[in-house]
Amino acid sequence: MRKLLKGIKTFGIVTHVKGIKNIKKRRKTRMKRSTVLFLIVVMAGLLLIGCGKQPVEDINAAQAAVNAVIAEGAEKYAPEDAKMLNDELTAALDEIKVQDGKTMKNYGKAQEMLAKVKADAEALKTSLPVKKEEAKNNALTAQEAAKTAIEDAKKLLAKAPKGKGSRADIEAMKADVKGLEDSLVEVQAAVDAEDYATANAKAKSIQEKAAEVSSQITQAMEKVGVKTQ
Amino acid sequence: MIQIIKRISLVCTLICLAGCNAPQIPPEAKLAEEQELSLWRSGAQVYLPVQYDQYRANFLKARTDLFRENSRFVWFRNYEPVRSELKNVLREGNLLSVQLEQRKQSLHDSIREDIISLQNRIDKLKELTWKINEGRLARRDLVKAEILLLETRKCYEENDLKKAEERMNMIADHLYAAESILFPIFNRYADKNQIMKWKQWVEDTIRESKAHHITSLVVNKSERVLIVYKKGLQYKTYPIGLGLSGSQDKLHAGDRATPEGRYRITKKLPRSKYHKALLINYPNEDDRRQFQIAKEKGLVPNQTEIGGLIEIHGGGKDIMTYGCIAMNNRDIDGLFNIVKVGTPVTIVGAVNSENSLSSHLEGL
Repeated sequence: MRKLLKGIKTFGIVTHVKGIKNIKKRRKTRMKRSTVLFLIVVMAGLLLIGCGKQPVEDINAAQAAVNAVIAEGAEKYAPEDAKMLNDELTAALDEIKVQDGKTMKNYGKAQEMLAKVKADAEALKTSLPVKKEEAKNNALTAQEAAKTAIEDAKKLLAKAPKGKGSRADIEAMKADVKGLEDSLVEVQAAVDAEDYATANAKAKSIQEKAAEVSSQITQAMEKVGVKTQ
Repeated sequence: MIQIIKRISLVCTLICLAGCNAPQIPPEAKLAEEQELSLWRSGAQVYLPVQYDQYRANFLKARTDLFRENSRFVWFRNYEPVRSELKNVLREGNLLSVQLEQRKQSLHDSIREDIISLQNRIDKLKELTWKINEGRLARRDLVKAEILLLETRKCYEENDLKKAEERMNMIADHLYAAESILFPIFNRYADKNQIMKWKQWVEDTIRESKAHHITSLVVNKSERVLIVYKKGLQYKTYPIGLGLSGSQDKLHAGDRATPEGRYRITKKLPRSKYHKALLINYPNEDDRRQFQIAKEKGLVPNQTEIGGLIEIHGGGKDIMTYGCIAMNNRDIDGLFNIVKVGTPVTIVGAVNSENSLSSHLEGL
């Protein structure tokens, strides 16, 4: 009986001890699970918070870079590059708009796009002065050639009779030269406005017309026996 | 713990599998991008701005929708609505491309015709400038018009039709300026009332020559001739030159116009700066009356007098005078011998409606 009682007591203690151990083990597992879940939640939260803010600084930087390159005359000297740049910026802003409308915002792709816009704008800005300088030089060369052609015509006219006694055709050609000079002023205006393409085209047309006028002056003067050479 | 890792691995595997089977971005997206760039390169934004803006708005909307779809979780992506949208954009782009080609072709044809027409107009106006001494006053604007036309032609050849159109539109102002100088002068020579008046003067001069058996001179500005009548019959014709503004009637000193009216030789100058000269009695009574009227109307500058010292002189018919009538030296020698002080000199613009100046107005 005593043995039995002892056995029961022992079993009870053992059972009790085992029970306590199980509870502790379960608690430990639960704690570990909670910790992992907590960490996942925290990480997800951090991720969401990290990517959830609109990249205002990136937008401003890309926008400023594009504006700067446009102000430098990109649309005039590299129109296709300027268009591509504007399109890239629009696409990046569209991507931001899409993310704005979502609960789980992720601006990562938009940031990449904005970074590319900025880099492309800066690259274009670097290459622009070369293109601009080339256009300017072409315009100035054409302007100089036009000036020389007009001077040549004027030199020929200087040999013609002046005032009363001058010939109608010579007077007409003097007026032609005035028209050429007026147009040359427009070339300078285009150069001043950095519209080098217009300046170049106009200067070339003036040069062509001045050569024609010079040839007519020579013919008219030779007709009346004035030596032009 | 192992269970959790197992679950996470399972989720990852599922995601990977789902990713492998994720719907592909429709190929129309790239085509639409290329089409938009191609339309821009062709100048759709320049030649068809309204249609291009509409097309581009639809293109951008489709692109935004594509971005929205891309941003969805792979399991929930459905490109079909975007694909249909992109197909519509491509269809619209194709239509725009056709319209653009038509617009450019029609602009091309119209600019080509306009260049030809403007060149003809400039040529005709330049021809007019050679007919009168005042022509030089219109040449300045005509040269500017020619330079612009050269620019237009170059832009047209380079297929920059918009710029060609812009350049061409600037020509009109210069042509208008040239025409406003030339046409009033030429129109006088087409004015029937004016011609009737001139014709009457000439008929009266010839009648007087015939009636009084005298020598009379008639200067015809449009034909640039001086005709000698003896006893009412045409005796000789000499070519002449006129003033810098010789096609117009003299109104005041310094206008460099050659007077029109009935005059007489008042002095014969055997030695002159221009070989020999015959002074006429400009201004006559009619000239003084006209001057007074013009002055009252404010048509004559202040402090300006009526002028005088109008001569028929030598020096050559091709020179331009300040209002006198110039002749070749040999011709003035001949004339000098057949006229005397008091010989009538009638100066007119023309005696027929169909004269050398009015005939050039045809087609203008």
